[in-house]
Amino acid sequence: MIEVTDIKPRVDVAQLAKIARQVRATCVQMAHDGKEGHLSSALSCVDILVALYNYWLRVSPENPKSPDRDRFFFSKGHACTALYAVLADRGFIPKEWLSTYAQHNSPLPNHTCIYALPLLECSAGSLGHGLGIATGAAYGLRLDGVDARVVVLMSDGECNEGSVWEGAMFAAAKHLDRLLAIVDYNGIQAVGRSDELMGHTSLEQKFRAFGWAARTINGNDSSEIIAALDDFPFEPGRPSAIIAKTVGGAGVSFMEDQVLWHYRVPPTDEVQRALQELGEKPLHRG
Amino acid sequence: MRRAFADALIQVAAENPRVMFLTGDLGFQVFDTFIQRYGPRYLNVGVAEAQLVCAAAGLALEGWRPVVYSIASFMTGRAYEQIRISVNYPNLPVVVVGAGGGYTYAASGVTHHAADDLGLMSLLPNMTVVAPGDPNEIMQLFPQLFQLPGPSYIRVGRFGEKSYTADAPAALGRARLLREGERLAMVSTGDIAPVVIQAVTMLNAEGVYPSVYQMHTVKPLDTAALDRLAEQVETLIIVEEHLPPGGLWTAVSDWRVRRERGPALLRLGPPHALVLGNPERDELRQHLQYDAQSIADACRAVWHKARGVLTGMAVDAAQQF
Repeated sequence: MIEVTDIKPRVDVAQLAKIARQVRATCVQMAHDGKEGHLSSALSCVDILVALYNYWLRVSPENPKSPDRDRFFFSKGHACTALYAVLADRGFIPKEWLSTYAQHNSPLPNHTCIYALPLLECSAGSLGHGLGIATGAAYGLRLDGVDARVVVLMSDGECNEGSVWEGAMFAAAKHLDRLLAIVDYNGIQAVGRSDELMGHTSLEQKFRAFGWAARTINGNDSSEIIAALDDFPFEPGRPSAIIAKTVGGAGVSFMEDQVLWHYRVPPTDEVQRALQELGEKPLHRG
Repeated sequence: MRRAFADALIQVAAENPRVMFLTGDLGFQVFDTFIQRYGPRYLNVGVAEAQLVCAAAGLALEGWRPVVYSIASFMTGRAYEQIRISVNYPNLPVVVVGAGGGYTYAASGVTHHAADDLGLMSLLPNMTVVAPGDPNEIMQLFPQLFQLPGPSYIRVGRFGEKSYTADAPAALGRARLLREGERLAMVSTGDIAPVVIQAVTMLNAEGVYPSVYQMHTVKPLDTAALDRLAEQVETLIIVEEHLPPGGLWTAVSDWRVRRERGPALLRLGPPHALVLGNPERDELRQHLQYDAQSIADACRAVWHKARGVLTGMAVDAAQQF
């Protein structure tokens, strides 16, 4: 077995917040340059990704496919600018790659692809696959006696998919307590509000009803994210779900909580306004 | 064939400790021996085909060799998206088993008909598609699927079929010669093969000697064998229990139109239509004229007539149903 180098926890919340602002600035620039939107979905999950990659996940840029690594399945593939920016910040990919986002033959396509970027656990773009795949991985790892944690980041809109609940049922039935599902509950879908589409019902209660241990947190607050991660697994013998209440387009005032910004690509002047608000430069324009 | 499949699975699991079996809540008592011997390598995922396939994909990512099992119509149709995206896209070595392909469950109604399974699976770029003809072919072919780097689909029939005898072994990706003949060849896939052999036995008694090739591997198609065959015969009669689009007929037609010259093609099999009325499979085959008698009749007619004349007629006849 190859040893995984534990990431030195950077628990300094102010530091995480600064990284998150840089990542957001990077996402905005990438969306503009690549002429591909999904900023609402990308910006909402930045704090979660920053916390995972800077604090919690046992993964290493030196050995990204180490057998003992924590498995991270990024299931909301359309929000990949945030993932790419965090991977670049952590040294998994060169920062220069970020300027190729969504271009032909880029390692960073506008939906994640393992052929383009093999260090990922899975390709994404079609919703409702990540959790099911993660349950299989978690079951297989347990049989092999590998103590890796298996994490899935999903969107709330993704939870419209029936396959998510097939996976949720399986995870509870098999007591996959090394499995953590994080739902980026930004409330916004492609053309509507997730609460309306889900009939104003609770995601936390749904996961609980499926046999999970679940809790709701502010998913744009690094301290709350870290506190929840520290408590994993929430209950022995049960998979854990974090319902991370976030704001779509979080961090850029004029993008926040608007369905418009699911698809909209920011023009140059709006990029400037956004970068000013964030007070940070994109990682690849440093 | 179902028993042969269970036996082949145990054999493969004994040789390869990474083999895992996942069922969508089907196969009551069929896999008891497997469960007894391999406990945690058996997973009943429940009536959740999407999850069945995604869980298999996750297992394959971690180096397991999963086999997923459900009724062919649910396995290929219901879980198509998951097979396409989670298994075929990353080219994971998952063996997809469709129990009761074609009209095995004719009497159970349209929900249980899977006369499109080979077509659906053949559309997937990385998929190897196999339809064995008898229990013996399952025993031979199933272990070979674990040599593949990517996914495969295997159609498995019902219980209690008899095996036919053939000298040639069943090698994945190779047409299997079942009966040596001349002038015309019947090319079958799946468990219609024993019916074709029955027809040939009838024909032999009349002095009619067609060859029979079992094209158990529909994808990739053994075009080299077809090229050789094209030099030997005037007509190929394709026999399949599958809709006209997407199955063996489509694959062979595709091969044929790429050639300047070659044998005439004729198809025996169900038309592109829903089957209503819950017939027994044998009744259905008789009605749609691909039972042993109908196959023998069509074959005899070709044998006695000039090459190519019947092609149009037979196609027209098939469309009447």
